[in-house]
Amino acid sequence: MINPDNISFDHCIKCTVCTVYCPVARETHLYPGPKFSGPDTERLRIKNPDLYDESLKYCSNCKRCEIVCPSDVKIADIIRLATTNHPERRLRLRDLLLSSTDLIGRLATRMSRISNAVMKLPPLRSLMQLTLGLSRERAFPRYARGSFQRWYARQSEVQDRFPEQVVFYHGCYVNYNDPDLGKAAIQVLNRLQIGVQLTREKCCGIPLISNNRIRQAKRNARHNIAVLEKAVVERDCPVVLTSSSCCLALDHEYRNLLALPSDLLKGRIELLTGFLYRHFQQNTPPPLKPVRLKAAYHAPCHLEHMGGVMHTIELLKRIPKLDLRILHSECCGISGTYGFKEENYEVSQAIGRHLFEQIDAVKPDIVITDCETCKWQIEFNTDYRVVHPIALLAEAMEQQDVR
Amino acid sequence: MMDCVVIGGGLAGLTCGIRCAEAGLKTIVITAGMSALHFASGSIDLLGRFPGNALVRNPFDRLPDFRKQHPQHPYALCGEETVAASLAFFAEQLQTRSLRLCNNGNANHFHLTTYGTLTPTYLSQQSVYSPELEKAFFSASCMALISFEGFRDFHIPLIEAHLPRQTLFRNRQHITGTVSLRPLIRSGKDPHEFRSIDISRMFETEETLLEIAGQIKRLAGNAEIIGLPACVGYTGHNRVFDRLRELSGRLIYEIPTLPPSILGMRLDHALKSRFSDLGGVLIEGDKVIGGEFEKGRLLGIRTRNHEFTLLEARQFVLAGGSFFSGGLSSAYTGMREPVFDLRLSYEKERRKWAGNLFFQPESHAFLAFGVETNERLNPYGADGRSIDNLYCAGAVLSGYNPIREGSGGGVAISTGYFAAEQILAAGKGAGIV
Repeated sequence: MINPDNISFDHCIKCTVCTVYCPVARETHLYPGPKFSGPDTERLRIKNPDLYDESLKYCSNCKRCEIVCPSDVKIADIIRLATTNHPERRLRLRDLLLSSTDLIGRLATRMSRISNAVMKLPPLRSLMQLTLGLSRERAFPRYARGSFQRWYARQSEVQDRFPEQVVFYHGCYVNYNDPDLGKAAIQVLNRLQIGVQLTREKCCGIPLISNNRIRQAKRNARHNIAVLEKAVVERDCPVVLTSSSCCLALDHEYRNLLALPSDLLKGRIELLTGFLYRHFQQNTPPPLKPVRLKAAYHAPCHLEHMGGVMHTIELLKRIPKLDLRILHSECCGISGTYGFKEENYEVSQAIGRHLFEQIDAVKPDIVITDCETCKWQIEFNTDYRVVHPIALLAEAMEQQDVR
Repeated sequence: MMDCVVIGGGLAGLTCGIRCAEAGLKTIVITAGMSALHFASGSIDLLGRFPGNALVRNPFDRLPDFRKQHPQHPYALCGEETVAASLAFFAEQLQTRSLRLCNNGNANHFHLTTYGTLTPTYLSQQSVYSPELEKAFFSASCMALISFEGFRDFHIPLIEAHLPRQTLFRNRQHITGTVSLRPLIRSGKDPHEFRSIDISRMFETEETLLEIAGQIKRLAGNAEIIGLPACVGYTGHNRVFDRLRELSGRLIYEIPTLPPSILGMRLDHALKSRFSDLGGVLIEGDKVIGGEFEKGRLLGIRTRNHEFTLLEARQFVLAGGSFFSGGLSSAYTGMREPVFDLRLSYEKERRKWAGNLFFQPESHAFLAFGVETNERLNPYGADGRSIDNLYCAGAVLSGYNPIREGSGGGVAISTGYFAAEQILAAGKGAGIV
């Protein structure tokens, strides 16, 4: 059946520009490219959904095809919808584990010392490749000792005292892997006399969508929309995020992919970098300490898709003495859980190679990027430390320690 | 606040953005999808035919006459000096990214099309025109035309059918051949599925390049020049071009293919890289949806991704292209400029928009429709007053017919450059530059 709301496939003029810029199609001929997988075969799937093609699984959902399309075809959405409308009969245990970021995070932060050590053991990793199909080569992310939410619980009173407030959607990464980034965000906002509120959020759903767990993704989305709407209305303030992929989920995927639009949240969800960019333009920005480092900036695909790259770059340019080098924008290859899967490992690495070469050519002191999975991919493949722009900004701001 | 925001990342927008960024202005270029360069020959036409359908040998000799006959033409607004300076600037900027453009002194040269016809143009990449290639074309006794097995965007028989009509090729012997890619494809993909970009990437791997070069050399027989579909490497073109020449021992000549056009993409890549090198901010995949005006000045614009935030700047450039790129839109009853609803110059009588034949020598009237501007390229708003901090450049402009005149690239580059010059002059007045 033709969905009259989604006929963008009909605007495709078959120019193949999307396939030219598709990082997956560049590295493997097994993927026929976004033009074929999206608008071309959508015509067939409308007639019969069973004309689904296994090669669709190669799409990593980086969404670069939509950025480059001259005809405004929602190519990535078409592919994602085709995949989710055709779920496999049995969910693989591996995909269940990879997409349950909340559950795994909660367990792993409770026993982080053990879980971090165990995940490094080569025999276990071989076993995981054999039994689960998780790539043996991959280093798995480290978990923090204690979650961000637990730390914040002791903070909430302090935060309530600020005259202005924002809601911070921290996401699983800040909560379980990098609470320090959440602390940095709070430090920056407090410095601007803005208090930070949390909600009882659930995983944004991006890993669920990527692993075809659409029902669960919708459940999470409904929950998040409800708690965020309540917070936004109660406090009349925006929702800010540090994770570009969570932001894409909340601001784009809920509306376009899960068909769960929220009028109350429209225009109120944004990345913290965008919020600060505007804040600094409208108010006297705080003085920043010089940071004497050479930094290479990598723009994540999803940030590129949302048009937020400019905000990050302009913020970073404010830091005195920071020698900022903007890398030519290209996919790092990890695409969330995509690169962790055994069958995608090689493609994922081949995609990233071009980016790693660029970084090596710059020889920076640090690499800066807004996305946690890009960070994992770059740290796994190069010797450089990868820092979130907000963490660097917090460093540059004068100390007003909330830790 | 930004100094300059350019709407449109094609030839006009990027030329303008590079000129502004080079002068130290904080510049943003916003593009909604990839530009028409992906569909273009990759050569820059300046003035190919004038008067009427007559071939122009030396465009700069003809420009004064041309200007007199077309006082509203963008070239007339820019002036010959700006046109010349802009093209020199353009070639210089690309050279910094190692993309070498060649011209035939001040005269036009020809490039061969996918259809086997010759088209006059002014600037080309070294694989399409160079003094060395020109000399060889006159002296060579035999040329080879070689394509790739299964490649659907380049047909040698089509070219062969039209070659005898060209004086240059009429009495020249040529041989043809097809390179087999099958042994080089490990994935089991059929070469029929390959597009220009796939073949370009095969050229960029040394191992496959060696094999392809070996086949090309065998197929070329005693030919002195080897004509190939323009797939000889993309970002690594220079290296591949030199290597192929060395391995085959012949001159390599590239002929544009159907889209995606690798020749055009090389320009796109070099221009964007240059813009970023100069500190310019490129926002890709976003669409400008409107602006806010105050007292005849554009204060800021809104985009689809930032509907609720006004992007403010001192100066703006609209270089969104023509109908194809969405810079102009048309319906059966009329046409409009979709971002700011600027005043247009176009024929109101619908039946006069196009002629009866698709390819007719006088081309079609609609190609000359577009935004009307004053002599500084400032458009007029709904109130009829000119908007002094907004400039229009490239195919969004009215008053020229790129197909009939063979002037598309030249107008894009010279108006983009002209707009930048005025932005810089205004910036000097305000003490910014």
